[in-house]
Amino acid sequence: MPPIVRIENLVKNYYMGTVTLNVLKGLNLRFDEGDFIALMGPSGSGKSTLLNILGCLDRPSSGQYYLGDTDVSAMNDDQLSEVRCTYLGFIFQSYNLLPQYTVVENIELPLIYQGVRLTPETKARCIALAEMVGLAERLDHRPLQLSGGQQQRVAIARSLVNDPHVILGDEPTGNLDSKTSVEIMQMLRRLNQSGKTIIMVTHENDIAEWARRVVRLRDGRVESDIRNDAKTTVEMGRG
Amino acid sequence: MSTSASLFAALGPIWTKLRRSLGLAIRSLWLQKLRAFLSVLGIIIGTGAVIALMAFGEGSMQDALEDIKRQGATNVIIRSAKPPEESASASRSFVSSYGLTERDLARFSTFGDSVTRIVPMRVFPIEGRYLDRISPNARVVATTPGYAEVNKLEMASGRFIVDDDDEGKENVCVLGAEIADKLFPFEDPLGHTVGVKSHFYRVVGVAKDRMPSGGSGGSLSAEDYNRDIYIPLGTSRGRIGEIVYTRAAGSRSAEKVRLSQITLTVSDVGKVRAIGNEVRAILEQEHNYKKDWLITVPLDKLEEAERAKERFTNLMAMIASISLLVGGIGIMNIMLATVTERTREIGIRRALGAKRKDITLQFLVEAIVQTSIGGVLGVFAGLATIFTVPMIYKWVAEKALPAQVHVPSIFIALGFSILVGVIFGLYPAWRASRLDPIEALRHD
Repeated sequence: MPPIVRIENLVKNYYMGTVTLNVLKGLNLRFDEGDFIALMGPSGSGKSTLLNILGCLDRPSSGQYYLGDTDVSAMNDDQLSEVRCTYLGFIFQSYNLLPQYTVVENIELPLIYQGVRLTPETKARCIALAEMVGLAERLDHRPLQLSGGQQQRVAIARSLVNDPHVILGDEPTGNLDSKTSVEIMQMLRRLNQSGKTIIMVTHENDIAEWARRVVRLRDGRVESDIRNDAKTTVEMGRG
Repeated sequence: MSTSASLFAALGPIWTKLRRSLGLAIRSLWLQKLRAFLSVLGIIIGTGAVIALMAFGEGSMQDALEDIKRQGATNVIIRSAKPPEESASASRSFVSSYGLTERDLARFSTFGDSVTRIVPMRVFPIEGRYLDRISPNARVVATTPGYAEVNKLEMASGRFIVDDDDEGKENVCVLGAEIADKLFPFEDPLGHTVGVKSHFYRVVGVAKDRMPSGGSGGSLSAEDYNRDIYIPLGTSRGRIGEIVYTRAAGSRSAEKVRLSQITLTVSDVGKVRAIGNEVRAILEQEHNYKKDWLITVPLDKLEEAERAKERFTNLMAMIASISLLVGGIGIMNIMLATVTERTREIGIRRALGAKRKDITLQFLVEAIVQTSIGGVLGVFAGLATIFTVPMIYKWVAEKALPAQVHVPSIFIALGFSILVGVIFGLYPAWRASRLDPIEALRHD
């Protein structure tokens, strides 16, 4: 099976006046479809920059990034936007819901930019997603009326609405207590087990435990690349 | 059919997008109602002021134009006027003789087809009587049948003077509406006789109430048709004579005037000016360059008034553009603040797949919705002003303030308020769309 994400010699430089900041120094990685990857590393290691590039929010200075068969590293802004709303789902540390919208409207949001006409069917789909993440009772609530864990679950539902190829998480449990973190990670694992590819950045070892594969970066290079296969097998067997 | 269907299909997504942006904009504005209202206040006042000022300008202009039109745009009016040297030497001879004569009248008949009607008239400041009732401030107007048409005089009952009355020197008269009311408050005036000096005239008709024509300066003074008693010109020669006595303050004078006024109706508006010039030339020659006549061409005044109106409109447009410019700057200011405030929202939308043009559209539509709502509110404010200010003015100053709603100005003002939204919303919207999504997401 071809990898869903393939990066080759990925370099990212930031130019600050006369100083050039060499953040990613020629990364080569392949992520398979259906995998669950945790990107780790100390701050400044380049993990957030990599996630931004993987999320098509940023472009590499050089090197290739293939999403499926498509080289997205050469795309323009409009094309990247289209890739984001068609193939990618985002989960952020600070949830990033729009405060003026209800739960259902927040979940609908990516559809709007996909050019999908909002119909009773799309609404039913959004409600189904809200129910799936356990918010059946709070469809018309606004984000500020929800707890952090509930908000993150709305964000997960939102990341699923366009049926993405890859879900990208930027410290999805960073703002949550440990109990809620476990709930969220269980939810992500279930999604992964149902076939979704998940790539998340984290700096907590016990969160990274939930992933099947842990990639550690340091100074813009891959430091280690370990599979948590034994544990995953156990979990898979139990599931 | 198929092309229109495919066109609709092509426009469908655009329409959907536009409608969605509209909903979005209204929603975002509703979150900040007071701020949105304050930011469009400039637009509201601007549009309201334009519409109100246009209405008041239009109202008074319309008044003036109506008046000139009442005199007839195809008419050339010539009046007898006391020449300045005559009044200086008036002490020498008791009776001064001047003015238009039947000879002039005869000369004008040579114009042929281009002049459709020539109406001479003589005016005497005499009152009419019936039994013990006297009509004060009355004028006896001796004229020919064409007078009614030239002055757009309509009959309430009976008929106007006809040719037979004139030729037969009949003792008949037609009463103005007010005179008829004064002399015959209880009975139908038709068939009764009205006394003028030592003669009696049988009433054959009563005119309808007619708006007086205001004095439009120059040789034309105000005419109040409702207090006139009309008699045939031919009859007046024998019965009243040629000498008109007037009483001025403290002194008595008499004037010998053959004709007070001659009104020519020209067949075509385009020929009015040429006929006017010819009349001028003829009279200068006939009267030996004695200025005992005055000519009025209402068309000239009409055009003058229209030019004045145009100048006024241009001035309004200038004021309007300044006030809308100020309003627009206010909108731009608020929109820039809004963009900064909602940087994170922009980041979220971009991350979820919004293109730059989606963001541009969102903020542009928001600005346009604001200014359009401002425009609509301004129209209402303007209309409210148009209807309330004249009432207050009437109550305070006891004078009428003519206001005429100028419909095109409403649409122009609305159009401009939308345009202001486009122009001043474009830059903030563009700024919003250029934000880096990553930076925007990090923004608090």
